[in-house]
Amino acid sequence: MSSAALETKETVAGLGEKYKYGFVTDIEMERAPKGLSEDTVRYISAKKGEPDWMLEWRLGAFRRWLSMKEPTWARVHYPAIDYQDAYYYAAPKNTPKKQSLDEVDPKLLETYKKLGIPLHEQMALAGVAVDAVFDSVSVATTFKEKLNEAGVIFCPISEAIRDYPDLVKKYLGTVVPVTDNFFATLNSAVFSDGTFVYVPKGVRCPMELSTYFRINASETGQFERTLIVADEGSFVSYLEGCTAPKRDENQLHAAVVELVALDNAEIKYSTVQNWYPGDENGLGGIYNFVTKRGDCRGARSKISWTQVETGSAITWKYPSCILRGDESVGEFYSIAIANNYQQADTGTKMIHLGKNTRSRIISKGISAGKAQNTYRGLVSVYGKAENARNFTQCDSLLIGGECGAHTVPYIESRNPSARIEHEATTSKIAEDQLFYCLQRGIGQEEAVALIVNGFCKEVLQQLPMEFAVEAQKLVGISLEGSVG
Amino acid sequence: MTAALALPTRRVEEWKYSDLARALGDAGFGESSARVSVGKPPAGVEIFDLDEPNRPDWVKAHYGKLSNNAVSAVSLAKARGGIALRIPKGKVVEEVLSLDFSGEGHVRALLVLEEGAALTLSEAFDAGETRNAGLEIVLGPNARLDHVRLSPVSDMVQVEEISLTLARDAVYRGHFANFGAKLSRTELAIALNGEGAEAHLSGVSVLADHHADVTTQVSHAVGRTQSTQLFKKVVSGKAQAVYQGKVVVAHGANGSDSRQTAKALLLDGWAEADLKPELEIFADDVKCAHGAAVGDLDADSLFYLRARGIPEQEARHLLIHAFLEDALTDIANADLRETVRGAVSDALNRVSA
Repeated sequence: MSSAALETKETVAGLGEKYKYGFVTDIEMERAPKGLSEDTVRYISAKKGEPDWMLEWRLGAFRRWLSMKEPTWARVHYPAIDYQDAYYYAAPKNTPKKQSLDEVDPKLLETYKKLGIPLHEQMALAGVAVDAVFDSVSVATTFKEKLNEAGVIFCPISEAIRDYPDLVKKYLGTVVPVTDNFFATLNSAVFSDGTFVYVPKGVRCPMELSTYFRINASETGQFERTLIVADEGSFVSYLEGCTAPKRDENQLHAAVVELVALDNAEIKYSTVQNWYPGDENGLGGIYNFVTKRGDCRGARSKISWTQVETGSAITWKYPSCILRGDESVGEFYSIAIANNYQQADTGTKMIHLGKNTRSRIISKGISAGKAQNTYRGLVSVYGKAENARNFTQCDSLLIGGECGAHTVPYIESRNPSARIEHEATTSKIAEDQLFYCLQRGIGQEEAVALIVNGFCKEVLQQLPMEFAVEAQKLVGISLEGSVG
Repeated sequence: MTAALALPTRRVEEWKYSDLARALGDAGFGESSARVSVGKPPAGVEIFDLDEPNRPDWVKAHYGKLSNNAVSAVSLAKARGGIALRIPKGKVVEEVLSLDFSGEGHVRALLVLEEGAALTLSEAFDAGETRNAGLEIVLGPNARLDHVRLSPVSDMVQVEEISLTLARDAVYRGHFANFGAKLSRTELAIALNGEGAEAHLSGVSVLADHHADVTTQVSHAVGRTQSTQLFKKVVSGKAQAVYQGKVVVAHGANGSDSRQTAKALLLDGWAEADLKPELEIFADDVKCAHGAAVGDLDADSLFYLRARGIPEQEARHLLIHAFLEDALTDIANADLRETVRGAVSDALNRVSA
């Protein structure tokens, strides 16, 4: 083994990453009884004060779920999940709603502070409206008035079900049907809360919308449901960021995100995910099974996914675009970092149905330690998608000889006028690049950070400014020790 | 027995684009055995008829050892007879050895090249029958095999699984020319088991209203191994071209180098191309890349030729020939290269007719 390889090995051994956000906030929790049954579903629905149609929708999903099998095609391995051995609903006792942040439990605010997300400052400085989800119930909703003025609806989905039933009925489950897949169906039955956004015709949402998800109560899976509808000619940028406290039991997270873009509308959805990845021995960590899908329903609509995935023990996530409207555009920018015993199986689907549809996929996978990182994607051009265009680039970077990087792209074309291009590379950090940096007096750690940041740059650039800073830090934190 | 040997449907992921069970219908492959013969055996090639009793040790040592998929399991279980060939240590065979497959049903062949042996192999098929062929190839240290497989247009189901193992410094070059069948599947499973082993695969498919699936799996089991793949497809009418290529680099196989390219031209109508270039990498000191592209002829190139007074039809022909040519130049044997070129030209005439 060359000295450089040895060094890389040593540095990977040093990867015993201290999860900076590993702490538990001690707030009294209110829980549904353990286990999953029709009663659990009824309990959640009753807690939320939901109308009958919603309860029926949930029960339908639950009954369907009973007949479904957990998918096994992804390259992730984990002990069988006992779905009866978890709590499906937890809420801070201190509800109902606060009128201002001052009334919010100070411990909650403390939690956010530790995360480096001072709510006040962030709102003031960045002009970000934060619908902070602490476990399952929204406790602080801000900037409501300004959004009201613009006519934008930005509220917890439980509220939307009560206040805007027609809108919810019209769009919920139309992108990710109740029967879509095992985890999405589970979510449909037991989703506790989430976010609803509706941007009316011709409105450009005046600020970045943001929700910080936190998983807090031990043994509580979190089942978020997000629905974003951009009506004709509107624009919205939505930010989702997550951290979770440290603990040893594995936690299940099965979220569903649905996006609908009508004629000329544009949705930009950005995610920074750094949930607890488990310790350096692969103990604990979040199981993250997420179904995210956007429907470019209208002509000239656009949906853009950007994700920075550094956390979770298991990531199973394929944000996709259905390019139904003519001239619609889908984009997927992804950085997936897997360290220690993390397993990430992530990618996207671009389904070209309409004429002149375009899609672009940029995926950067980084594996270190004993982690397995898989890109799994599909680009499919249907017969009527005249002049469809796709460009895909998937690059993998391996740090150390114990990890794995895998690429599984499916390319299907049924239209002669379509053009699809796919490129993929796998490599380690080039020794000559490292040498070049070292030679100029840049330290080993700094040099690798520089090179990795350069490797990810195309994706980082896609993030809104407020997020790009956090994301860049995360890339550094995730690989800390592995690189110097 | 039938349950264990059930034929794959499209619900089996590796057969997603080739529904074998449906193409064959209730009859399946049947129970009969197809034939394989060697046309004009060159001197120095040892031949054993697998129907004969008392198999020699080299057959016992290798027969049925490499095959590993559902379809080859069926041919191993059901084929009677077949052929085994051995090129002894150090023997370099200059003439082309030709394997001819005919008849309906299952058939097996085994080819062993001992240390330092060299051979050029060509495979030919009669198109009239449904066939399931299984070919195992063992390359000893420093052995060299040039392999050209040409499968004609067929209205039947034609499947072949080719399994190879390569020892230290062995070199394999394979070319796969495919003109489509009701269902055509050529599956290659290549294990680079010795340092310095190389596998270079190329292929062209020219399809008018037929199906051709080339599926490859190259395993870099040890380091300092090399593989390249270049597959070009021209698809028209209701044809479907499939390429599934998987490159696996095992843990510790440092110094592996792999390149994989698959490109398809869709000419018209309802043609379909499905490409799946897959990488599975467990070592860090590697160079692996793959590229895939699907599209029509480049409009700029076409315009350039038209601007020089070349009629559109002719310009298209030129560009299609050029597109396929770099996969054809990989055929080392000049005679075989010309044979394949001729077959490609004939097929292209059918495509544009």
